[in-house]
Amino acid sequence: MASVTTNGQDRDPVSLFETHRRQMIRDRMVVNITLGVAFLGFLLWSLWISRFTPDRLATGLPRIFEYFGSVMPTLQWDVLFDGRNEAGRFPPGSIGYWYNDFWKYMRLIWETILMALTATILGTGLAVALSFIAARNCAPFPWAGVLARRFLEFCRGVPEILFALVLVFAVGIGPLAGVLAITIHATGALGKLFSEVNENASMRPVDGIKAVGGSWFEQMRYGVLPQVLPNFTSYALWRFEINVRASAVVGFVGAGGIGAELSHTISFYSDDRVTAVLLLVVLTVTAIDLLSERARHSLIGKESLK
Amino acid sequence: MLEFKGLTKQFNSTVAVKPATFTIPDGQMVGIIGRSGAGKSTLLRMINRLNEPSGGQMLFQGRDITALKGRELRQWRNECAMVFQQFNLVGRLNVLTNVMSGRLFHHGFASSMMGIFTAKERAFAIRALDRLGMAHVALQQTDTLSGGQMQRVAIARALVQEPRIMLADEPIASLDPLNAKVVMDALRAINREDGLTVICNLHTLDTARQYCDRIIGMQDGVIVFDGTPKDLTDRAAREIYGAEAEEAFSEAMTSTALRPQPVAQPEARVVN
Repeated sequence: MASVTTNGQDRDPVSLFETHRRQMIRDRMVVNITLGVAFLGFLLWSLWISRFTPDRLATGLPRIFEYFGSVMPTLQWDVLFDGRNEAGRFPPGSIGYWYNDFWKYMRLIWETILMALTATILGTGLAVALSFIAARNCAPFPWAGVLARRFLEFCRGVPEILFALVLVFAVGIGPLAGVLAITIHATGALGKLFSEVNENASMRPVDGIKAVGGSWFEQMRYGVLPQVLPNFTSYALWRFEINVRASAVVGFVGAGGIGAELSHTISFYSDDRVTAVLLLVVLTVTAIDLLSERARHSLIGKESLK
Repeated sequence: MLEFKGLTKQFNSTVAVKPATFTIPDGQMVGIIGRSGAGKSTLLRMINRLNEPSGGQMLFQGRDITALKGRELRQWRNECAMVFQQFNLVGRLNVLTNVMSGRLFHHGFASSMMGIFTAKERAFAIRALDRLGMAHVALQQTDTLSGGQMQRVAIARALVQEPRIMLADEPIASLDPLNAKVVMDALRAINREDGLTVICNLHTLDTARQYCDRIIGMQDGVIVFDGTPKDLTDRAAREIYGAEAEEAFSEAMTSTALRPQPVAQPEARVVN
């Protein structure tokens, strides 16, 4: 055999490879430089639009602390844990004075959590149903899949606060508007996640159920659902954390929960009541995040043992 | 009687099964052999319409199977059970539920969505499992079983369908020789005792020769052999397998190490 090269040009394979490699590096560099210039351009544009300049930052930042300074409670150690006096009032400087409306806040926080819970349950139910239609491998008809995916996109594309604003007009001020708004958004977000989980499910059990004469519903219920249920549960819990935060916000437009109280204290008093509410919200959200994270990890842990 | 009249399947530009015309009488055990890609699976999956035929007709007791739709199609799938190479069980459900899923066709929407099965169905499923020697794992999660156990569970699921035909798509290709023998013995027992038609795709020649009444050989989507095991000479087999002949023969040799028992005395665990 005269030559082992197969490129038909009788060239040394090493030099041929090196030429290709240099060409590739050059091409990649052109792409990288173009993208880099474009990125820099957009960054400067956005800085200019938002007038993000060092002097504005320097004058603005201290004001944030100024504001927080004005809403900080004035606590005095000697009366900190004092109860009500003869007149039935807490002495100024005590925790009781700062948290005079504690039980009102707690009732509203409880309402916020229940709103999130209801919205999570409703949203999960709708998302499960839609996820089977939206998943490319499960859709009963292709057009139904397209329709379901577009619908879910709309649901998660519009922010909760906008849905809440519209729904407050429709069903009136109160938690119902908030629950509905969060449900719609959660349906869109969970439906997308669930349908992606469905797309990764093995189709073999589905074939098995199809072969026994099972309908589409039975194929989903027995072939897909058992495979994806642990993932669904984990995502639903995670969504509950997000929904608690969301339901604290929708109150700003009158859709129930602690948000209304927070907005009220900010716009009417801007005193230590703001920090009182804010602290409770942060504590609640953190506690729920920690609890749900525990639950999710124990779920995943159980899965990985199998 | 299952009649094929020019049944064909085309995937885009390639013809997987060229027009096939033949008849399978009731109660026959048929083995379909051929190299991989010969169209065996496609032909079998067209029978229960998991693959849609591109042309031709299929008749069962004179009824046109190729024209069935909706509930009638599901009824037909319920009548001809299928066993798969990868078992196609639901791994996260327990064995009993998997077997009872063979009754789903007879369920209404609500009871099947809620997973409600009657005591009668449970009893039926347990009997089917017991027949295959698997009743003791009925409440175990299915994906903890071995391959051979799963295939027996899959056969039990097929049995509770009370089918008239049993289709088996490479039922032993993923099993070791011992389990392969157990599964083939079970299929043969079902064929002999219940009088079910069994149509089985096999890649090992020897198994087809030992278990089947009739062997159909396929090559590139065409039926090139149709006869009794006696008619299938080594020369004929070599023609069916072409370039893969040596492989098919050597695989056949490994499974001859375990001879099936005579038909008159089937293994105890596959008897009622």
